[in-house]
Amino acid sequence: MTALVTEPTEKPIVRRILPPPVTGQEFVLVGVIAVLWALLGIFTPSFLSPSSIQPLFVSVAPIALIGVGMTFIIITAGIDVSVGGAIALCAVVTAKLLVNFDVPLIVAVLVSMVLGTVLGLVNGVLIAYGRVHAIIITFGTANIFQFFALRIFGSSTVNNIPSTLDVFGRGESGRTLGVPHSFAITVLVVVAAWWYLRNTAGGRHLFAIGGNANAARLAGVKVQPRTVLAYAITGALVGLGACFFIAAGTSTLDQGVGTGRELAVIAAVVIGGTSILGGRGSVIGTLLGAILVQTVNSGVTQLGWPSQLANLFVGLFIIVAVGTDLLRERARRRKA
Amino acid sequence: MSVTTAPQAPLQKPQEPKRGIASRALEALLTQRIVLLAVLIVVVLLVMTVLDGADILSGSYNSDYLAASLINAVPLAMLGLAQLGVILSGRGGIDLSVGSMVSVTGIAFGMSYGLWGWNLVIAMIFAVVLGGILGGINGALVSFIGFPPLIATLATFYAYRSIALVWSGQKPVNSTEIQTFYSAAKAIELPLIGSYLPLIPLGIFTFLIPVVVVVWVLLNKTTFGRRVYALGTNNTAAVWAGINVRPNRFAVYVLSGLISGLVGIVTVAQFASARPDAGTSGNGMALPAITIAVLGGVAITGGIGRVSGVVLATVLIVWLNAGILLAFPGNDGVQVQLLALGLVLVFASLLNGLTRRRYGGI
Repeated sequence: MTALVTEPTEKPIVRRILPPPVTGQEFVLVGVIAVLWALLGIFTPSFLSPSSIQPLFVSVAPIALIGVGMTFIIITAGIDVSVGGAIALCAVVTAKLLVNFDVPLIVAVLVSMVLGTVLGLVNGVLIAYGRVHAIIITFGTANIFQFFALRIFGSSTVNNIPSTLDVFGRGESGRTLGVPHSFAITVLVVVAAWWYLRNTAGGRHLFAIGGNANAARLAGVKVQPRTVLAYAITGALVGLGACFFIAAGTSTLDQGVGTGRELAVIAAVVIGGTSILGGRGSVIGTLLGAILVQTVNSGVTQLGWPSQLANLFVGLFIIVAVGTDLLRERARRRKA
Repeated sequence: MSVTTAPQAPLQKPQEPKRGIASRALEALLTQRIVLLAVLIVVVLLVMTVLDGADILSGSYNSDYLAASLINAVPLAMLGLAQLGVILSGRGGIDLSVGSMVSVTGIAFGMSYGLWGWNLVIAMIFAVVLGGILGGINGALVSFIGFPPLIATLATFYAYRSIALVWSGQKPVNSTEIQTFYSAAKAIELPLIGSYLPLIPLGIFTFLIPVVVVVWVLLNKTTFGRRVYALGTNNTAAVWAGINVRPNRFAVYVLSGLISGLVGIVTVAQFASARPDAGTSGNGMALPAITIAVLGGVAITGGIGRVSGVVLATVLIVWLNAGILLAFPGNDGVQVQLLALGLVLVFASLLNGLTRRRYGGI
């Protein structure tokens, strides 16, 4: 419901002047995050210090960035579980370029984004033109991407990655006024995506496809090219996000860089209020969802609890977020 | 024909054009998934035997090796059958949490049998019942609250995996009892004719065949099975036909949990220890299980799928994987298996879509 413009009547005057970037789910998320931060601030004195918050936002950046693409895909009622494999492949190619071929940073990042786009195109074309359910295709391509990533890795790690990538966030060189660059880029992408979804025909088409693909086609939406585009955009963001992942780590890149990331991204999107059934969603919710997920991860570690416990909380958050959404939807339908 | 002319001949179904044997064989191949799978199994066996004859493989691809590799079919086919029930029930049915349930129930079995000294049978019942409860949570979320299965089982995938890791302290559970339980996975000689045949892994008889029979009977010989097919084919029609949809959809997720519980016990026997990541390490067990189901001809939209397809798909994958391990020794083999699984899944799902459009069925 977030960004649909279908309820023109009876809106408060402020909302009519300032189209709301945030609605129900986002307000709830901001509240939950504020409460969590307050609690963590009380129980772990170090949590609210810059040395703890900055790494948190460095880790939020790639999840939220890729989450923007995933939001596009899920709005069209699709899904992409191959993101983990694609991250691994883009990351290892970037790392190898930097280590073995000494290319400039900008070239490495561009190659990574182009590679990611190609992988996204493969998914998109198979899904849109093969007319096969997205989860099945992306489960398959996940394995294929993983295979190529492992092949390029050769041994299990890439070592001695130069520190040029630090400019994205880790350390002093990666921050301006205390804000990690990767997070700033992510926020820019989120704002651009929000504008695209809300104010352009292409953005509205994504909602239309997710709402009812047949109706959208009859209304003149080019369903298949738009679907391919959503996966390609995700691929490009995966390419950039993979660079953020390398930049957030040490100078060693591990084979497991992509493992489970697709689930973290999907969790952020879903917690952010995007409906898995398609047709409704918000990229700002996704950003907040990513912050929530990473806050839980960071908080569990700082409280000294077993780090694996974080996943239990993430699972519960997904259930609560989707559950309240379902109940709200049911109440709305009862009223109508 | 214009509207005014009276029909000259009574309206007849247009005569089917005479079709050659090739065209009919193609249709059988595409619409009867078990025919296709049988052909593919023969192709894999032939290709591998030829490669073996040309001395390209690092070991011999003979009946003993094939029989021994069937041990991998036990968890794979069982979880494939779990997915069969869930996917059949429609409405985007899928269970991503099977791997995590295998981990949790494996730890439960390892703890109760290996550390707390419970009786073997009671420990097994404990693990299976726990699996049923975990599956029941999935089922309740999906059928009673209305969660999309993808999201419900994604959430519980996280939660259950976390429980398995935290419960076990991220260490495998190990003891003498568990190590001797390894014998449950050993290969045995069949009675009467066994001496002429390769040794067959015991797990095939103690776990796989009973589960295959039970699932087949449930789906094909009970009203419950008919209801599952009905609500997968058309949920609304099922409601108006008087089927109580919710308990039936709930039940397939419980069934998935119960089977995962059994697989948890199987993995303890195979690894000779209860590993907290047994079902989730690498790409986890859900992916191969879903691949098996899709390759076996199960339509992801629900309502279409057969036990025999799942079983044959398992045999195909297991023997293909076994051959790959010989052709690409060591770590390479494991990686090529990944590639093969991915290609097979993409190929099988495209084929399912094509078959559905061309012939209206699988």
